[in-house]
Amino acid sequence: MVGLSAAERVYIEDGIAQDLRLDGRGRQHFRSLSIQTGVIPQANGSARVRLAGTDVIASVKAELGSPQPGRPGCGNMFISVECSPTAAPEFEGKGGEDTNLELAKALQRNFLGGASGAGAAIDLTTLIVIEGKVCWELYIDGLVLSSDGNILDALSIAVKAALSNTGIPKVQVMGGLSLEEADFELSDNPEEFSHLDTAQVPVTVTISKVGRYHIVDATAEEESQVSSAVSVAVNSKGLICGLTKSGTAGLDPSILMDMISVGKRVGLKTISSVETDIAAAERTLEAE
Amino acid sequence: MEYISPEGLRLDGRRPMEMRQLHAELGVIAKADGSATFEMGNTKVVAAVYGPREVQNRSQQLQEQALVRCEYSMATFSTGERRKRGKGDRRSTEISLVIRQTMESAILTHLLPRSQIDIFVQVLQADGGTRSACINAAALALADAGIPMRDLVASCAAGFLNNTPLLDLNYTEDSGGGPDVTVGVFPKLDKISLLQMDSKLPIDLFEKVLELATEGAKATAEYMRERLSENTRQLVSARGLLRF
Repeated sequence: MVGLSAAERVYIEDGIAQDLRLDGRGRQHFRSLSIQTGVIPQANGSARVRLAGTDVIASVKAELGSPQPGRPGCGNMFISVECSPTAAPEFEGKGGEDTNLELAKALQRNFLGGASGAGAAIDLTTLIVIEGKVCWELYIDGLVLSSDGNILDALSIAVKAALSNTGIPKVQVMGGLSLEEADFELSDNPEEFSHLDTAQVPVTVTISKVGRYHIVDATAEEESQVSSAVSVAVNSKGLICGLTKSGTAGLDPSILMDMISVGKRVGLKTISSVETDIAAAERTLEAE
Repeated sequence: MEYISPEGLRLDGRRPMEMRQLHAELGVIAKADGSATFEMGNTKVVAAVYGPREVQNRSQQLQEQALVRCEYSMATFSTGERRKRGKGDRRSTEISLVIRQTMESAILTHLLPRSQIDIFVQVLQADGGTRSACINAAALALADAGIPMRDLVASCAAGFLNNTPLLDLNYTEDSGGGPDVTVGVFPKLDKISLLQMDSKLPIDLFEKVLELATEGAKATAEYMRERLSENTRQLVSARGLLRF
């Protein structure tokens, strides 16, 4: 919880109105971002993302499972989020459950696509080992270690980086002609793995409305003054992959459209810088 | 199972009385009053301290001393097999209690009456010895928060497998079924504040294992003190208080 005096509230709002925020940023600027990949050795892929005081980790674990009955040709992807009490004492015990669920739902909307599996961030058909029988299941877990606002965007960047870092072990399918006879063998060689195609994985940009103006990447102090916010997931083609509106105040449709277009513009800029950062992080990992 | 090779080396290449590589960092969480990460080999934990602050639940307020609270949680990805752990299962409740009691014995609680200190520890990677790592991280976080303490608390575990006392067990050795002795010590006061053992051990051997664990804890304390003074030196020079 952020406690602000009346004078501080006015200072934040007036600063935003003059396009000069508390930390010297303009309304549409992100804080400096740092990405580190391969931070959790026991996961198939992982990444840690820091946005000033916000610090999150995402991990991807791949397990073999069976496809859901309605979609035999698709693998499965699951997303969960946990806010550690280290981030804020409010998350102690069952205190963080609502926030966990809200963040997980928003990420699921942006990354998992529809019930049929179409429109997911990763082409789910590439996760199939034997159609209708065996597939890879990707468990994506987000952990919030420290929070200074804009957790959702940081998590989405961490998930994108973790997916780029993910290695799926090679599987040899042994041919039986019918479905029942088909069998597979998992490679024991840790050097034999394939990467996922993450070209279409979006990042989320949250546009928050403070007073009459909207800003991106709000800090905790700014978030306490937000009337409503729209989170837009944008992929590298500039397509919108998911939308979540939060906050209690209503928005005029024209303002909403304006916020979405800001989200798209900032999202495209963010995604290209995120992709360069991920590539750089992967290079330092390999050099080690 | 062979836990020690004929050459006298353990599964991860260590000698029986060798500890894993230690690494600690202070001030890792910006919003917390004190925080630290502590790594022992592949085990990695983060601790954050909030307080001393006003007691949140009035009925728990203590007139004579500070209220110390602790919560231990494991990340879903911290173990080899992915497991969704509900908060407040028996194991984490027990570890929370152990950490709380150990820290409470170190903190000068009578100096901070009617206040509350929260310690949160989060396990990021679990490879044996999470209990010890959590205590070490919590002690560093308390020191980082500037909370008055009698002494540092440092912890280390030792076991006994294949007729040899082993220092600082990893997960494979921990699941070997042998005894596991965890101690927490005050290095300067030369006192033991925490002692736990599972399984059984003849009393003369227990003495040996306990001595080994205590030595390990003291070595850990030395490393922690080094990190703390290094951190203080950095703070001093960052604030321009020191002229070179």
